[in-house]
Amino acid sequence: MIVEGAVQAGCKFFAGYPITPATGIFKGMVDMLPGRGGLALSAPDEISAIAYAIGASLRGLKAMTATSGPGWALMTESVQFALMTETPLVIALVQRLGPSTGGATQGAQGDVLLAEYCTSGGYTIPVLCPATAMECYSLAILAFTWAEVYRTPVVLLTDKEIAMTSERIDDHALCPMTAQDRPTAKAGSAAYAFEFPQEIPGFRPVGGYEKVTVTGSAHDKQGRLQKNSPETVQVLRHLEEKIRWREQDFSVVESDLQAGAETLVVSYGVTSRAALQAVVRARAEGTAVSFLAIKSLFPVPKKAIVKALAGIRTVIVPEENLTGLYRSVLSSLFHGADVRGVNKVGSMITPGEILEAVKEVQ
Amino acid sequence: MGHVATSIDGMELVYERPRTLTDTPMHYCPGCGHGVVHRLLMEVVQEMGIQEKTVGVAPVGCSVFAYNYMDIDMQEAAHGRASAVATGIKRILPDRFVFSYQGDGDLAAIGTAETIHTVNRGENILVVFINNAIYGMTGGQMAPTTLLGMVTSTTPLGRDAAVMGFPLKMTELVAQLPGAYYVTRQSVHTATAVRKLKKAIRNSLEYQKRNKGTCFIEVVSNCPSGWKMTPKESNDWLEKNMFPLYPPGDLKVPRD
Ligand SMILES: Cc1ncc(C[n+]2csc(CCOP(=O)(O)OP(=O)(O)O)c2C)c(N)n1
Repeated sequence: MIVEGAVQAGCKFFAGYPITPATGIFKGMVDMLPGRGGLALSAPDEISAIAYAIGASLRGLKAMTATSGPGWALMTESVQFALMTETPLVIALVQRLGPSTGGATQGAQGDVLLAEYCTSGGYTIPVLCPATAMECYSLAILAFTWAEVYRTPVVLLTDKEIAMTSERIDDHALCPMTAQDRPTAKAGSAAYAFEFPQEIPGFRPVGGYEKVTVTGSAHDKQGRLQKNSPETVQVLRHLEEKIRWREQDFSVVESDLQAGAETLVVSYGVTSRAALQAVVRARAEGTAVSFLAIKSLFPVPKKAIVKALAGIRTVIVPEENLTGLYRSVLSSLFHGADVRGVNKVGSMITPGEILEAVKEVQ
Repeated sequence: MGHVATSIDGMELVYERPRTLTDTPMHYCPGCGHGVVHRLLMEVVQEMGIQEKTVGVAPVGCSVFAYNYMDIDMQEAAHGRASAVATGIKRILPDRFVFSYQGDGDLAAIGTAETIHTVNRGENILVVFINNAIYGMTGGQMAPTTLLGMVTSTTPLGRDAAVMGFPLKMTELVAQLPGAYYVTRQSVHTATAVRKLKKAIRNSLEYQKRNKGTCFIEVVSNCPSGWKMTPKESNDWLEKNMFPLYPPGDLKVPRD
């Protein structure tokens, strides 16, 4: 469904290198793109794959690659290049278990921080996290819109369970929208022209009418390498400010708040499906509990979280990793509340395990 | 074989599992070449009496489980980095027999630079290169070594040179490098081929004592599952289709 979404979004270029559990996306792109005027290339490794995609995007095409943890580790230099050069790019990161080669055929939610904090300087990279096949489709389209409109790399974060499970969907319910396009540069403007730091500079394709230079080094608004001139520092601030300033626009959550509830379950990805089941069961047993499923992990949807926290004493964050990665990000928002994790690796968290945590609070 | 042959039910035992190979059923698909190459390596190690002095590096790929079968010190390595890890080991333990055991994805795709630099430095190790023209472990996608016109899961219409380039002949490439001491291409699809490969492995490990550079053995191998053929068909296909491009034989032999 990620492939369907990407193609619907207008993706015209894909490059990949096989890795379980992301190979299906590669294969799907090879099967679908050429027939739709696109190109899907096999790269000799992930470093090349992402670089091909950057090259295609520099020309103006909507471009994508897909990988899993080991490949993502190799891609991060180019992810930073895309961020620095404001090159739109979507990277589907399908998580598998553990560090290094890990467990190829086991799911996990262990790359949450690896995805977000892969840049020197900790720039905010938008991360979308679908929980169902339908969301793989719709959030893939949204990922392209964000990448294009805000000229940034965007991570579509799934895991083995989401990417490799067959699910029945109603294809009439698939929204036939396409992704928006990147803003175009005015003739004669600087490569990274902005007056206010939050502005998105217009894009100029390589091989077009005007000369284009692109550098991953610290640069001024003209895209010329500079050491630490005031303008270069402005550009570095702008890279973060363009996301931070419109944080609200990136908020995608599903909240199901119950009046009088003192417990809130916050979850994402495949685990949020188990969490929803647990919440439904708790309510059936007469326990009031609120639920928040986060689809846009980064930038953190602060407003939605703060809203969900009203009257809450205990927050439970189930996630499939050992140390509570996303919980650690959210904890500063939860001040005053008792924050608990439900954590597990090696297999999915069950609704029963989350329900138990909910009941323990009572 | 060095140890005493016994008899079973009055018949003389002429061939048996080398003691350097563990008594573990292999996970390889029926007819796959990996198992035969494992066995040959371990036969040579046993015959040379170097079990305690041999270290292997097998990275990800179908042979990631080689450590279950080869009863020597075996390391895994990140994808593409086998010869680099082997370099580190050999530099610190120069008196050991060190080999890397890599698929064509590992050696000729993600590890291409590593392979070229290892041989270019003349790293005194043996590189065993299993070329099955495909990424086996991940389900049969096109590799740089895939033949033109060959159908794989990522070349559903066959590999087209205009889009995907040409099959990469790594062995010819590394044979050009001054650091290469012995470069040969073998196979395991017939009994004769198996014997020749064993000789090549023996030569390589003997040469390692001379400290003269890298020994590099390509093994043209099959992938019945990835190629979607029976083992017999895959061996016939290999001879007919792989050999014209990857002909068996020595590419570089020691002069001294
Ligand atoms: C960085 C990284 N990228 C991709 C993978 C997935 N992967 C595992 S094995 C493999 C290729 C195996 O093919 P090959 O080396 O030819 O060996 P074979 O399985 O055919 O024996 C790939 C792509 C990985 N483990 N790590």
